Amino acid sequence: MEQFEYRRESSLERTLEAARPARPDVRGAQNAIAQFIAGGTNLTDYMTLGVAKPNILVDINGLRERLGKIESNGRRLRLGALVRMAEAEDHPLIRRDFPIIAQTLTLAASRQIRNMASLGGNTLQRTRCEYFREVSWPCNKRIPGSGCAALEGINREHAILGTSEHCIAAYPGDFAQALIALEATVETTGGRSGPRTIPFAELHRLPDDTPHLETILAPGELITFLNVPTGPWTRRSCYVKVRDRESYQFALTSAAVALHLEGDIVQEARVALGGVATIPWRSSEAEAVLGGHKLNETLAARAAEAAFAGARPRRHNAFKIAIGQQTLVRALLQAQQMKVFK
Amino acid sequence: MIPAAPRPRENQGAPHARIDARLKVTGEARYAADIALDRMAYAVLVTSDIARGEVKSISLHAARSAPGVLDIVSYDDIDGLRKPTFSTSSYTSLGPLHQRTIYHDGQIMALVVADTFEAAESAASRVTVEYSRQPPTAHFDSPGTSQMDAAGKVALLDEDPCTGDFAKAFAAAEVKIEADYATPQQTHNPIELFSTTAAWSEDVLTIYEPTQSLYGFRAEIAHQLGMDVAKVRVISPYVGGGFGSKGPSTPRSALVALAARRLGVPVRCVVSRSQGFTTMPYRAPTRHHIKLGANAAGKLQAYSHDAWELTSRVDNYAVGGTDTTARMYAYGAVATHVRLVKADRQTPAYMRSPPELPYMFALESALDELSYELGMDPVELRLRNDTQKDPISGKRFSSRHLKECYEKGAREFGWNKRNPLPRATRQGDWLVGLGCATAVYPTNVAAATARVRLEATGDVRVQSASQEIGTGIRTVAGQMAAEQLGVPFEKVTVEMGDTDLPAAPVSGGSNSTASVCSAVLKACEKIRARLRKVAGSNLAPSGSNLPQLFKKLGVGVIEEYGEFVPEGVPPEALQKLYAGQTTMLSGSERKQVMFAFGAEFVEVRINVRTREIRVPRLLGVFAAGRIMNTRTARSQLMGGLIWGVSSALHEATEIDPRTARTVNRDLQDYLVPVNADVDRVDVIMLPEVDEAVNPAGVKGVGELGNVGTNAAVANAVFHATGVRVRSLPIRLEKLLEGY
Amino acid sequence: MRRHSAAAAPLGKPLPLRERPTYNITLRVNERAHALRLDPRTTLLDAIRDHLGLTGTKKGCGHGQCGACTVLMDGKRVLSCMSFAVMAEHHEITTIEGLSRPGGQLHPMQQAFIDHDAFQCGYCTPGQIMSAIACVTEGHAASATAIREYMSGNLCRCAAYPNIVAAIEQAAAAMRGT
Repeated sequence: MEQFEYRRESSLERTLEAARPARPDVRGAQNAIAQFIAGGTNLTDYMTLGVAKPNILVDINGLRERLGKIESNGRRLRLGALVRMAEAEDHPLIRRDFPIIAQTLTLAASRQIRNMASLGGNTLQRTRCEYFREVSWPCNKRIPGSGCAALEGINREHAILGTSEHCIAAYPGDFAQALIALEATVETTGGRSGPRTIPFAELHRLPDDTPHLETILAPGELITFLNVPTGPWTRRSCYVKVRDRESYQFALTSAAVALHLEGDIVQEARVALGGVATIPWRSSEAEAVLGGHKLNETLAARAAEAAFAGARPRRHNAFKIAIGQQTLVRALLQAQQMKVFK
Repeated sequence: MIPAAPRPRENQGAPHARIDARLKVTGEARYAADIALDRMAYAVLVTSDIARGEVKSISLHAARSAPGVLDIVSYDDIDGLRKPTFSTSSYTSLGPLHQRTIYHDGQIMALVVADTFEAAESAASRVTVEYSRQPPTAHFDSPGTSQMDAAGKVALLDEDPCTGDFAKAFAAAEVKIEADYATPQQTHNPIELFSTTAAWSEDVLTIYEPTQSLYGFRAEIAHQLGMDVAKVRVISPYVGGGFGSKGPSTPRSALVALAARRLGVPVRCVVSRSQGFTTMPYRAPTRHHIKLGANAAGKLQAYSHDAWELTSRVDNYAVGGTDTTARMYAYGAVATHVRLVKADRQTPAYMRSPPELPYMFALESALDELSYELGMDPVELRLRNDTQKDPISGKRFSSRHLKECYEKGAREFGWNKRNPLPRATRQGDWLVGLGCATAVYPTNVAAATARVRLEATGDVRVQSASQEIGTGIRTVAGQMAAEQLGVPFEKVTVEMGDTDLPAAPVSGGSNSTASVCSAVLKACEKIRARLRKVAGSNLAPSGSNLPQLFKKLGVGVIEEYGEFVPEGVPPEALQKLYAGQTTMLSGSERKQVMFAFGAEFVEVRINVRTREIRVPRLLGVFAAGRIMNTRTARSQLMGGLIWGVSSALHEATEIDPRTARTVNRDLQDYLVPVNADVDRVDVIMLPEVDEAVNPAGVKGVGELGNVGTNAAVANAVFHATGVRVRSLPIRLEKLLEGY
Repeated sequence: MRRHSAAAAPLGKPLPLRERPTYNITLRVNERAHALRLDPRTTLLDAIRDHLGLTGTKKGCGHGQCGACTVLMDGKRVLSCMSFAVMAEHHEITTIEGLSRPGGQLHPMQQAFIDHDAFQCGYCTPGQIMSAIACVTEGHAASATAIREYMSGNLCRCAAYPNIVAAIEQAAAAMRGT
């Protein structure tokens, strides 16, 4: 691990100041010279691996008072970026009104990690691709232009949606699928033009030919809040996660769904897919098939087929098409079966 | 009654809590890397990024000038260190720094020593290397492998067991099965990281290292350093799991000792989890081609087993599991052939039930396939071909209750309630299947020694340089002494884990309980003999009359040293033991054939949509001779069953075929079961008496439970889905149509 | 327990640190304050083990993948290998050593682990016990299914899992006072 300077301030202004880049940085937020650290469950890992090498570590935990609250006004859920995953997972309002959020949190990692990890940091977690994690492999995400060892390598766990010839690494997070499905927005501050709010769906960048640029955050830009609008679909929502072992593993495939049903007719559907894409993946393709129709096995299968129609598998992960489709079918039928109170 | 402490049945010992239980639950048990020494420096290994080629140049300059760096050991800089000797005491003959040739991914290239761990780790990443690369051979199917016969060339296989005319018998068989099976590479991954802490005091070296072979390790290190064995002490008080990985030494240890000698301070090197995949041995991948022939009534007539095992270019290591499988049933004719396939890898070594786990997978899967071909109950097929005689040698089994294990297991598991048709049982979204398989492990025993001291208070101290890796050897050795001397177990202390103690064999081949308890028995017999002289023939040495007996003897303590040599082993075995060489008599080498047996039953559930494979029920019924302690034995067997499931469903070390490099070098992607993977596990230990095996009457159980389970799971998966998976691990994609 | 020879001291005197940035922090561990001067890269785990000599907490992977390093921070279970020591100031850390009670009485969880043979090699055990205590206080030990899921962040390679679950069930009842 490289040496770093450790800073911890108690005010937001001083925190942003500590992370402000001294000069323009083309590396993108996740490779910036100064990195924010909250729970540390992702960043310390990548620093230990020598993948992340911040010169300055800016500890933002002093901002808990301001950024650590869960609030709801009925129209939207407002989550401070420093809320710990476990806090949100346990929160009665979230469990009742946004089960998809509670489940994407509960099914992630382990309770120890969830006690530490912040919601903001969780959305920014980086890929688990072993060729990325081990610095001796060629990796366009770590070193632009160096190549991608996964394309022709052991790629069972890699993405089949949103890939490019430069990178097929899967986005590993669960919580982000709930956020993108529910059309969350992200508040940030410290960016180039000051505080801003962006749709969560715009936060992550497809790899294209710049896999080293993972988000649209500027160096020194800090996520402060996540806002999730309530809708008639938020209560009828769930998350299905398929893994080799029963727990403590990233998704092979997963599906986050939220449905507004009248009887069996889908008024509105929100669908996101995990484990299969390079970024959090909203499936408007599946939603288009579902909307306005009677939900049953056949419709669910058609929606799943549409969701994966654009999939581009590699040698070892073609199974993710069939299993990913089945995961979505399971989630849709499970959401339909839920007992939900208006 | 607590499940963890089953009530002992005939020939089974009390379920005493482990003698080290309190130490382990309070964090007071010390493992090697817990031991901190004055002015200790920290060392980190630098390992290669290629699997085959040469180190053209290695630049240590940047690393040397990093803050806190004290020294770097690398090529041309190893002070006359000798190469390791490939044996049970060293997994490879490769001295990584003796030449600049790279033979495997992650080969040691340097040891960086600094004043803190962080400084060493950071400096290690500043070592730069220029390679000249050669395309490596990664796997069985890669270009560039070479093959050779294993029999007679490897320690574990003298000859390919054969009997009768296989070709003729197979041709005449009414029902035939012919299939290929494969098991993947596995990496032991005990939770304790490998480490070496070396400290010199003048010319005496003390090494703290988790090892399964204190005396073997000591002898090998002394050899590499060109030292007198008497000047080397190895301490390994507790070992955080071994499973074979800590059995043979590795080249790292002598390098750390060398660094410590040069610097004049103790040096501790902890191997990272990732480096543990490449600097330590592993279970080699295997392939099998099985042929079984039977008559229509299910009597076997012919069995052939061709196997291929991967090894390094440098050393020939194979496990040769046909030595066990060939003796399992009344086959008729048997033909076996094991071959080595050499590739650009580090040398493999033994991992829990090394021969049986992969080979029984093939055999027990093939038998299951045969049972379906015959339209016969798989349990019935085993029973019909059960035997009390080894088909290869004609020798009788000293005890074999496989039939009773199957019958009991089938009853307990509700086996006969199942619908025998594949893909016929479903509960909601889950397909349900049941499978069974035979578990077996040879009863190995080795020369061992122990010292026992009895005090007038009834306190007893047992000493033997065995290794507590979690099996409970400390506890059962204490129980043996308590029972022999008639004192309460609570009055016994047991010292192990130090070469200052009397020599004991490697904790391998599940021999320790049998061997060490037999040595303890010998020592106790001597103590009893001395007491008998003054007590008369009716000796009941309870705590109450000991003071009088001691007074009569005129002694302060009674301490006796006991040596055990298995029948048929020459007495030189003891000197060899002290010189670091275990002489182990295997279960197939004795006048009678000696194995422990079991029958395992598995229920699997498979999600009909997303194909997750889960195991809600596991049962093993075992007949394994005298059980010293039903608590520790049950835990070993239970852990073994779960290991078996892991072998079937989870574990595989992934080697990138282009570069022969390990890809899943962590616990994120090297999957082992988590708590939620395990539901119901039942262990039944049938009473069994076998006085031929060794004086203690003990058959090893540490490696029994995980044999056969992988086949039972594959068999259950077939029963649930109609899909026969012949290549492990059984991953959910293998259950998709058209896979 | 056997005492080691004079070559070993319970906490070795470290080599003197030179030439690199360090931070002076106070760590509160098991209700005692410790002043430390640390390289900021030192994990909480390494600080506990190598700088405070509390070696009960174990390193199994260094990447948050095994749970052996589990300690309590302000009563919540966390992975000490995934946290820098400098970030742990102002928190109350409890390690396995912190469970010891006057007179040597064991915590009900420790006793339950012994009763149910919930360990074999013992290396993952301190992490299991700390995690298990928190699992109970979190309210995640109400059923065997919940225990299995919520204890899945602690790997046991010896596979003592069924015994671990049984131990936690016993201890949960004792901790609840039932």
